[in-house]
Amino acid sequence: MVNILENKLKEKISSLIEELEIIIGYSESKAPLKINPVFIKTKEEIDRLIFNNLCVNNLATYSYYLSADTKGKIGIILKPCDVKSIIQLISEELLIKNKIKTIVIGCNGIIDYKKINKAVNYQKIISAKLDENNITVNTIDKSFNFKLKDFFAQKCYVCNIYDNPPYYDEFIENDLKLNLEKKKEYEDIEEFEKSGLEKIYKFWEEEFNNCIRCYACRNICPLEVCRDKCIAQLDEPHWQSHKINSSEGKFFQLIRIFHLAGRCTECGECERVCPANIELLKLMKKVNQIILKLFDYRPGLILDMKPPLLTFKNVEQNIKDEELI
Amino acid sequence: MNFINEGSKSLNVKNKKEDVKIVAFLCNWCSYAGADAAGTSRLRQPEDIRIIRVPCSGRINPLFILKAFNLGADGVLVSGCHPNDCHYSEGNFYARRRLEVIKEFLPFIGIDKRRFSYQWVSASEAQKWQKVVINFVKIIKEING
Repeated sequence: MVNILENKLKEKISSLIEELEIIIGYSESKAPLKINPVFIKTKEEIDRLIFNNLCVNNLATYSYYLSADTKGKIGIILKPCDVKSIIQLISEELLIKNKIKTIVIGCNGIIDYKKINKAVNYQKIISAKLDENNITVNTIDKSFNFKLKDFFAQKCYVCNIYDNPPYYDEFIENDLKLNLEKKKEYEDIEEFEKSGLEKIYKFWEEEFNNCIRCYACRNICPLEVCRDKCIAQLDEPHWQSHKINSSEGKFFQLIRIFHLAGRCTECGECERVCPANIELLKLMKKVNQIILKLFDYRPGLILDMKPPLLTFKNVEQNIKDEELI
Repeated sequence: MNFINEGSKSLNVKNKKEDVKIVAFLCNWCSYAGADAAGTSRLRQPEDIRIIRVPCSGRINPLFILKAFNLGADGVLVSGCHPNDCHYSEGNFYARRRLEVIKEFLPFIGIDKRRFSYQWVSASEAQKWQKVVINFVKIIKEING
């Protein structure tokens, strides 16, 4: 089944490659459980393309900088949830619509390999094999067989656009459908909030003790296009020290989160790449929940709609002034 | 509970238990003038507030508020012109959205929502300013216990 999809993808790409200057897609990686992004320019390279449940990367990350560097059109292979990032970039006028060709593949869920690492007790994984419903993982002395449906990424459990992307130029249908028990959106956030202020404060303090300020969360984010003038690395004005400790890590993260308020499409890349395993998506989801409550807005679904913090209404229905008198 | 303890050390302020540090961001055209008027008309108010003047409430970056908490402020107060009265006609509309998001977000990182407040005080409302300050300081002292 997977091969049929890959063949369809390769056919589509070979019909498009003439008009596109470069195509970004997924390819095999030497490391087990991982895939590599690949940049394709010629017909011979098309065979390198793959697509399966391990294609977790959001390739929209490359679109902004690549579109600034190329003259022609760029093709990007995306999952339906990744398209949201492209929509957001276009609606903020950071990307030109005509310069991007979005090739969207219907998705049947992606695997969170942090979950798999946990399930094999963080032993070194030597090889992994994927089929329709199962994944076989081999460590040095053991072999594990897991059901796929327990190892999907968080976002897959609330996904409702896996076979109808909100925007695309080319759509390749996937015969496999995402078949998961749906969870309530923001369920985990509400659960976390119940633990009380003191505990929440402690939780984040401990979590950010691990932060090494590698800025991977910032660099992987498709919407953070401010890398050249990042406030955390500027010396003038010197808003933030370069120290590595809990408070500075938290401060940097909060700035990042407010830069993404009303824009983040919850692709989960920041959490995926975090070498310290900090639960960054939790913070992001909370902001999005607030934005949804206050402005009834979900990022990345409608083209040509301004993010709520870049616009205003004279009378805000959901905001009540606090009286201190 | 300070946002971060290290910050207060670097400020080198000896904190008595009843002392609180509150940072207030006031817009130049309304609230700053209002606070000034409160001073010239000799309305008594607590001394715990450190005022920072900004051109407009729209100038206030969420970063300012977080930085204040990071350096050990017990509370942050933002005040600007009433909606529709902005000197730059729309600055405080943008500010209102931003500030509300911050206010809602603070409990999620373990900071009491009441430690942050935003108010609309015009240049002529010296008495309102006095009340706002008195009440805000009272609330912060209550939280600090």
